[in-house]
Amino acid sequence: MTTKKDKLIDLCLLAGKLMLMYGAETYRVEDTMKRMAIAGGMDNVNSFVTTTGIFLSGVLEDDDDIMQMIRIVDRFQDLSKVTEVNHISREFVAGRMSITVARQELKRVEKQPMNYPLWLIYIASAIGGGAFSYLIGDSLFDMIPASIGGLVSTLALVLFQHYLQAKFFSEYLAAFFGGVTALILVHSGFGTNIDQIIIGSLIPLVPGVPLTNSVRDLMAGDLISGLARGAEAALTSLSIAAGVATAVSLFL
Amino acid sequence: MVWELIICGIATIAFAIIFNIPYRLLWMIGLIGMLSWSVYSLLPITGVGPVPAAAVAAFSSALISHFAARKKRVPVTTFTIPGIIPLVPGGRAYETMLAFVQGDYIEGLSQGAGTLLQAGAIAGGLAFALSIFSIGRGVGQRYETNR
Repeated sequence: MTTKKDKLIDLCLLAGKLMLMYGAETYRVEDTMKRMAIAGGMDNVNSFVTTTGIFLSGVLEDDDDIMQMIRIVDRFQDLSKVTEVNHISREFVAGRMSITVARQELKRVEKQPMNYPLWLIYIASAIGGGAFSYLIGDSLFDMIPASIGGLVSTLALVLFQHYLQAKFFSEYLAAFFGGVTALILVHSGFGTNIDQIIIGSLIPLVPGVPLTNSVRDLMAGDLISGLARGAEAALTSLSIAAGVATAVSLFL
Repeated sequence: MVWELIICGIATIAFAIIFNIPYRLLWMIGLIGMLSWSVYSLLPITGVGPVPAAAVAAFSSALISHFAARKKRVPVTTFTIPGIIPLVPGGRAYETMLAFVQGDYIEGLSQGAGTLLQAGAIAGGLAFALSIFSIGRGVGQRYETNR
């Protein structure tokens, strides 16, 4: 037996869960869930979101109070899913979508694969590493070893995340392998400017999403999530620095 | 300079692909990255240090990102996250790490302070642009002036 109340709160929680999992900021998740619940006819709506959990409470048509929470374990970076959920919630709030249709759409977004295939992300991190290294070091030829290093570090990151399921340790290992690749390339005479090559191989690992979201959360008054995301970004940066420091102290 | 701008645009688009940003927005992100890099590299010519230059660059790219996000009706982080990637102080972070590895702690601390300042400048630029766009929608602070 699923009443309208259950359907509505399920819909709101699903939208919030997708947004938070794929890298939206806390303020946006809270606001989206609240708007959707009010558009569905709920009163006295309160939503509270931290980086790792979602709470939503409200009253629907003089019924009892309902309050539900879900725990978010994984955090990915897939901003196109955030954009799609944002679009669906706008359509739902504007009344152009019923609860059932919106739920189907959200389920479709949840099941669909990443916007870009994994090989394109590898190629993009190679190109990004190479191009970024030129901005720092001004040597056109060294873009090639930098892009090889960027490719290796992203490959290592995806591989270790998949098999180890340990966030900071796999970032450490990815930075270590990227640094080792850069140092090997330089020592074998393929590349001259060592700092440019190492920076180019590490730049795809930079925690851009938690860094930016931390600033936005702190500014919006969500102090807990802002601090949590800031700590996540700081720990990731420290893991990367430790990984490349290990590589440098072993092989330089 | 033109080469740098083109390469910076390519780098920003590559990072947008790494962050899985929708295909139809990629060209705008490239332009935003080029804007932030040109501000960041042109301001030091007039005698401004790299830290304020990073702040101004982050501010201008975040401002344009807000307009673009309004127009395209997407979350603004879609534009700001790749837009600030060219400003990341990678060179200084590397120097910091190298100095600490070699046992030169004074040099490491001073380079580390520079790195943290530049990261803080980027955050400050983002926050400044955000607060312009959230005038009247912010949270209550200190005194209840509307009673």
